Amino acid sequence: MYKETKSSKAVKWFLIGVSVLFVVLMLLLPLITVITEAFKQGFAVYEKAVTDNYTVKAFWLTLEATALAVVINTVFGLSAAWSLTKFHFRGKKILTTLIDLPVTVSPIIAGLIFLLTFGRQSPIFPLLQDWDVKIVFAVPGIVLATIFVTFPFISRELIPVLEARGNDEEEAAALMGAKGFTIFRKITFPHIKWAFLYGVVLCAARAMGEFGAVSVISGHLRGKTNTLPLHVEILFNEFQYVPAFAVASILVLLAIFILIARSLIEYNGKKKNKVEP
Amino acid sequence: MYVELKNINKHFGNFKASDNVSFGIEKGKLIGLLGPSGSGKTTILRMIAGLETPDNGDIIIDGKVINNVPASKRGIGFVFQSYALFRYMTVFENIAFGLRVLKKSDSEIKDRVAELVKLIGLDGLENRYPSQLSGGQRQRVAFARALAPNPQLLLLDEPFAAIDAKVRQELRHWLKEMIAKLGVTSIFVTHDQDEAIEVADEIIIMNKGRIDQIGKPLDVYSTPKTAFVASFFGQPSIFKDYSKFRRFDAVEGAEQTIVRPEFVKVTKKTEVQKFKNSAEEGVVTDVAFRGSGIELSVLVNGVTLTARRGFDEPSVSVGEKVDVFIYRIFVTAGDNAYLLENKSLREPVVVI
Ligand SMILES: Nc1ncnc2c1ncn2[C@@H]1O[C@H](COP(=O)(O)OP(=O)(O)O)[C@@H](O)[C@H]1O
Ligand SMILES: [Mg+2]
Repeated sequence: MYKETKSSKAVKWFLIGVSVLFVVLMLLLPLITVITEAFKQGFAVYEKAVTDNYTVKAFWLTLEATALAVVINTVFGLSAAWSLTKFHFRGKKILTTLIDLPVTVSPIIAGLIFLLTFGRQSPIFPLLQDWDVKIVFAVPGIVLATIFVTFPFISRELIPVLEARGNDEEEAAALMGAKGFTIFRKITFPHIKWAFLYGVVLCAARAMGEFGAVSVISGHLRGKTNTLPLHVEILFNEFQYVPAFAVASILVLLAIFILIARSLIEYNGKKKNKVEP
Repeated sequence: MYVELKNINKHFGNFKASDNVSFGIEKGKLIGLLGPSGSGKTTILRMIAGLETPDNGDIIIDGKVINNVPASKRGIGFVFQSYALFRYMTVFENIAFGLRVLKKSDSEIKDRVAELVKLIGLDGLENRYPSQLSGGQRQRVAFARALAPNPQLLLLDEPFAAIDAKVRQELRHWLKEMIAKLGVTSIFVTHDQDEAIEVADEIIIMNKGRIDQIGKPLDVYSTPKTAFVASFFGQPSIFKDYSKFRRFDAVEGAEQTIVRPEFVKVTKKTEVQKFKNSAEEGVVTDVAFRGSGIELSVLVNGVTLTARRGFDEPSVSVGEKVDVFIYRIFVTAGDNAYLLENKSLREPVVVI
């Protein structure tokens, strides 16, 4: 163990102090502000704001986009992680780099890309119209943008776990005649379970809070293409401060819920790893 | 022949991992595939199991070409070098896995697993996870798991490499006994010559993706056919020119001289040397105690040779002048190895 001297003790408390100050200033204070502002005019006003028809619709749209993003990125994340770690092929490096692109590109640009790809000025726009498919300023656009920005979250959690461990167990199972899905279910999945759940949580958190990309492509149609973050912005721009903070508090609650889920998963993952590494 | 490889070639990119490999194995035999690290042993095993595909050549098991039979249908037991035990399953579930895939009934599975757990001497540890077992125990579980579905052929990749020396010795005998008892045709890979000699009925020696020699342990040891095999076994002293040592025939194009410790007789000046006339004088440069005897390094004609003496013989010390007689040497020319006898051995001896 590191032995504490007087000066190292001072350093220790100084560093802890800085961290605590930072957390209070940057996280706790805003959080308290959100809650106090939300309840400034009493519970009745708060209740009215969160049960408002548009708020409820925005809530469900947010959940829908989040659920779809999680489901689709689960499929994509598993396939990508699997193919990148278990097979050798041309362009593997490029694929690995491209998967990370959504994290490095500004969400606004992501929104614009979809706007240009599926919007009026796009060459495929007439085609979409013929099929009666609306993407821009409609729910599919919001879902697409959400999927895009949360694209790498699950695969990036899985790749290191799969890489750290060879193919041996899968090969051993295959030699005994086990089929692909059985091998995945019984051998591979138990191994990646915690990393996978962690990826899902991160993906869900990011999907719920997404603002930039969704903002560009949604068109801000109240009750139709408004997600919770967009709804907060609209209310705020209309000087409806209390309702804005009330709706924001829903997002805060969701975030806290996810934080708890994350801690539980981390705790369980660590505990499991101790018994069966 | 039960297992036969015919002209197998295999490349990884530009690297030739198998170079025209052919051999045959009789049913029920325990074969050691021996060669230095990187010589292509694992690749051969993986091709037989169906985990790699040869570029060309045939793999025949029980009379059928199985190149196009998928790994899962070959019915081969495989023990991985890393054991590859399913870490999220108990010992019981590990061994039961192959039986579950075959859709055996629960009672059948229970009986078979119990039988195998008993065979490997791990009764009572069925509910442990692999991480809760010692190396030797894991190795036994891997063995039992591979055997559970009753394979006709068992492949073992360096089965003892990850086990400490003392347990390894025990396990070797155990494995040899088990395989003999079960009568399953087996190929085990090893880079350890002693292991191959002790365990195998027959040894296949690989070098740089090629098969150098196949034969009974004693035969490959005492009559190596290639330069590589001659230098691989024993504890050879290797030097270039043997012309300074008298009474050996000349070999055209000789490149290397290989002398194993058992080819060298070291005697003190006060002891009787049967071939005194053709013995050379040397100086002891090192004396080391080994479990089986005393190992000496002697400098003769500018060459350091390794030799052995028994504990019961009078002791020799560093710096002492001794007589050194060499019974035979291996001489290599190109890829070939020749055994040369000291000509004095064929002449009548006069002991003074
Ligand atoms: N999947 C692979 N891809 C590329 N090279 C490989 C692969 N497997 C083996 N090799 C190469 O082939 C050679 C022989 O490997 P291997 O059969 O594992 O040797 P051994 O088991 O005798 O140590 C090694 O040089 C190794 O680097
Ligand atoms: Mg190997």
